[in-house]
Amino acid sequence: MIPAMYLVGLGAILFCLGLVGVFTNKNGIIVLMCVEIMLNAVNLNFVAGALHYGDVTGWVFAVIAIAIAAAEVAVGLAIFLALFGDRKTIVLDEITTLKH
Amino acid sequence: MALDKLQERKFLFPILALLVGFPILRHYGGIMMTGAPYTAIDSAFLILLIPLLSFPVIAILGQWYVGEDFWRERFKEGGMIALGAMAITLSLTVWLAIQFFTKGGTCSDGLTLAKDACEAGGAEWIPALFAGFGNWFSFDVIRMQDGGSWALESDAFGIGMWIDNVSLTLLFVAAFLCFLICWFSLGYMNTDPINKDRNHRFYGEFVLFSAGMLGMVLADSFLWLFIFWEIMGLCSYLLIGFYYERPSASYAAKKAFLTTRVGDVFLLIGLLMLYDIYGSLDFAVVFDDPSTGVGGALVSAGAMKSAMLMLFIGAVGKSAQFPLHVWLPDAMEGPTPVSALIHAATMVNAGLYLVARMVPFFDVGHGGVEGIGDIGILIAWIGGITAFMAALIAFVQNDIKKVLAYSTMSQLAYIFTGLGVSLWLFNAGHHHAAAIAFGASMFHLFNHAMAKGMLFMASGSVIHEMHHAHHEAHHADGGDGDDETGHSDEAGDHDDFDAQDMRNMGGLASRLPITSTAMAIGSASIIGLPLIGGFWSKEGIVAETWAATAIYQETWLLVPAFLILLTAGMTGFYMTRMWMMTFAGKPKTEYAANAHEQTPWIPTPLVTLSIISLFGGITLAVLGATEWLGDGVELGHEIHAEGYVGALLGTISHAFLPDDFFIFIVTWTAIAISLVVGPAMAMKIHGGRLAKGETAPKTIAWILPLSTKFGKADVTELAESGLADALHRRLFFDEFYDALIAKTVIPLAAALAWFDKRVIDGAIKGIEWGSIRLSKDLRKLTTGSASDYILFAVVGGISVLILLWGVI
Repeated sequence: MIPAMYLVGLGAILFCLGLVGVFTNKNGIIVLMCVEIMLNAVNLNFVAGALHYGDVTGWVFAVIAIAIAAAEVAVGLAIFLALFGDRKTIVLDEITTLKH
Repeated sequence: MALDKLQERKFLFPILALLVGFPILRHYGGIMMTGAPYTAIDSAFLILLIPLLSFPVIAILGQWYVGEDFWRERFKEGGMIALGAMAITLSLTVWLAIQFFTKGGTCSDGLTLAKDACEAGGAEWIPALFAGFGNWFSFDVIRMQDGGSWALESDAFGIGMWIDNVSLTLLFVAAFLCFLICWFSLGYMNTDPINKDRNHRFYGEFVLFSAGMLGMVLADSFLWLFIFWEIMGLCSYLLIGFYYERPSASYAAKKAFLTTRVGDVFLLIGLLMLYDIYGSLDFAVVFDDPSTGVGGALVSAGAMKSAMLMLFIGAVGKSAQFPLHVWLPDAMEGPTPVSALIHAATMVNAGLYLVARMVPFFDVGHGGVEGIGDIGILIAWIGGITAFMAALIAFVQNDIKKVLAYSTMSQLAYIFTGLGVSLWLFNAGHHHAAAIAFGASMFHLFNHAMAKGMLFMASGSVIHEMHHAHHEAHHADGGDGDDETGHSDEAGDHDDFDAQDMRNMGGLASRLPITSTAMAIGSASIIGLPLIGGFWSKEGIVAETWAATAIYQETWLLVPAFLILLTAGMTGFYMTRMWMMTFAGKPKTEYAANAHEQTPWIPTPLVTLSIISLFGGITLAVLGATEWLGDGVELGHEIHAEGYVGALLGTISHAFLPDDFFIFIVTWTAIAISLVVGPAMAMKIHGGRLAKGETAPKTIAWILPLSTKFGKADVTELAESGLADALHRRLFFDEFYDALIAKTVIPLAAALAWFDKRVIDGAIKGIEWGSIRLSKDLRKLTTGSASDYILFAVVGGISVLILLWGVI
């Protein structure tokens, strides 16, 4: 069996990759994808925990998280579609309405 | 004009009826309503409240109805309301006085002095007859106890009334003169176009002032005395600056306010010292055995001396004595009724009243503090110096009101000298002599207030008619005169004619018969012409001062004694000079030749006060006012003992033929120099017959030929000497104070202004500038980019995690 430490370490690396991706990418779609990576990193942690402790709760949480992530992606894409319809762009640096 | 006269009469009778009827109605109305007779005491608080409440009424109605015909004609722009309030006040005061004299009182409370006389002589006293009436309101005070803890004293300060012979005298003087001067104002203020549509301000401040004066006299504690004292100061400021558009008037108002403020600060310190010593400021507590303070501790002479000194400095400021006298002559910028009321007859007496209230502290025979007689000597010195100095400056004044202002200062100084001597005598244990000196001083206060109030009103009459004549002359010339607008008056003022300058007058005796007679009587009372008004009291002060010097061997009083004796002669000079310059000789300008006595409302008060000045002095002297005021001896005791003639002869012989040979010489010296030397010198310089065909009223016609008997003296050389110049410049006091202020206060103010601008404002500006910079920097964090915000969120989250790490 793979030690839980490896799985958690992989989850942390994936999470950091996702985080850096969120910071550095300008394209909204890619940012959304990075968020997905972070969510899956968390799912990996849940699964690792479930394996390690032999507890089913972690799997249940992971399944719920996947379902919610799917819904979130749908909402996120819908927002970007609407944004593109309005602003003709989904480059995040050009959407600075909050500043003003 | 005839209509105006009719109107004046129309109001005279209802007011007389009110004077008599109000007390009777109140009395019998009370019997009918409740079965118990109302006494004056039950209504006494109205004396204070009615003027106080009239103030907002006049001020507000004036604002509403300003410029409307009925307000101007019927209400005289508020003057009628003020007159009504003053009439009620006067009627209550008279009623109070009558009850004071007729109703037996208790000996339980009141001045130690009065209490003692009451117990000893069984005099019909009601000192502090309103002890049970004591507290209308009361206040609690948090006070530090010995040992540093704080404790609440309930009812520490209450407002009530204190009536004894001294306060009753002042109460009557104030109420009576407020009433008469209000009457006079109806003629003086309402007929001058320059005052049009702003008289309600005058009358409002006038009644507020009367409330202040009456309240100060009635106050039963030093605290209330001080509060009403300040109300008077405020009204004085407002009324001096009545013609605020004139720079000189607003300057004079500020000067008066700030100069008296110097004294008031000391007064407040003195009151705090008294509170520290006695734990209360109520007369009843403080005057009850003044030698023991709070908790039965013995009061030290040192502490008492400094407290008395502080109180006296306050009195000096209010009563315009050296060295805080500079404001009074400038205060003549106010309208003449104001000068008559505030700066001659009532407010300036407040300082005297305060000093008179110090008596129980000094009276060692009745629990006073021993060893504080030096303060009495100091007061006498200040009085002597002021009397002499003011009389000297009055020699060269050409403004009729300024002569009277300096005369006021000089006469008040007489009273201060008398009070100082009295305080010294009290403290040295010579009770009888002290009481006589005190009584004479208070008596002089009464006589002086009556005479000086009238003199100012008479001078107002002269000024008014001169101004009127000048105005009419311009109208006749087809000049810019127009009765209906205020501008004409300003235009009239632009040529250099000064209606107050005596060099523009002369020969007015024939044209202003009532005024000139009144002024002659008033002057005689101030000079101390034997048998008239001020003679009785002034002789008393001079004699007692010399008695303290010679009989009681206090050499320190020698200088004040000499100064006031000399001032008696100088008074004769400057008062005669004023009268001669105004009324004798030939008219010096065409305006003086055309002036006529024609304004209604003005003669009535003059006649009333002339009669009082003429006969009041001798009547009260025969009744024994001096002994009554000083020692609480029942009024009229000599009449009871010796009958009217006997009492009259006794009083006269007592005045002219004193038992002590030394006092005899002093008395006759004073009479000689004040009656002969001073007036003769003044007549020699300024006397003169009227122009041909002019006749003066019979009462004073004999003076005019007399004034030419002494020949003419040419005083041009003297008038151009350095001394005259120094006197014209008021002995350089104003320059000195200006320079002093320029050297001290102004640099200090400049330094404080710099501190305020640079340090305080700088600190505030620094905070402002810093926060602007900071927020500008912080704004840069708001990039608007979502990824930046996420970065912040993550950095924040990680920070929280790191912080929690330590905790968990």
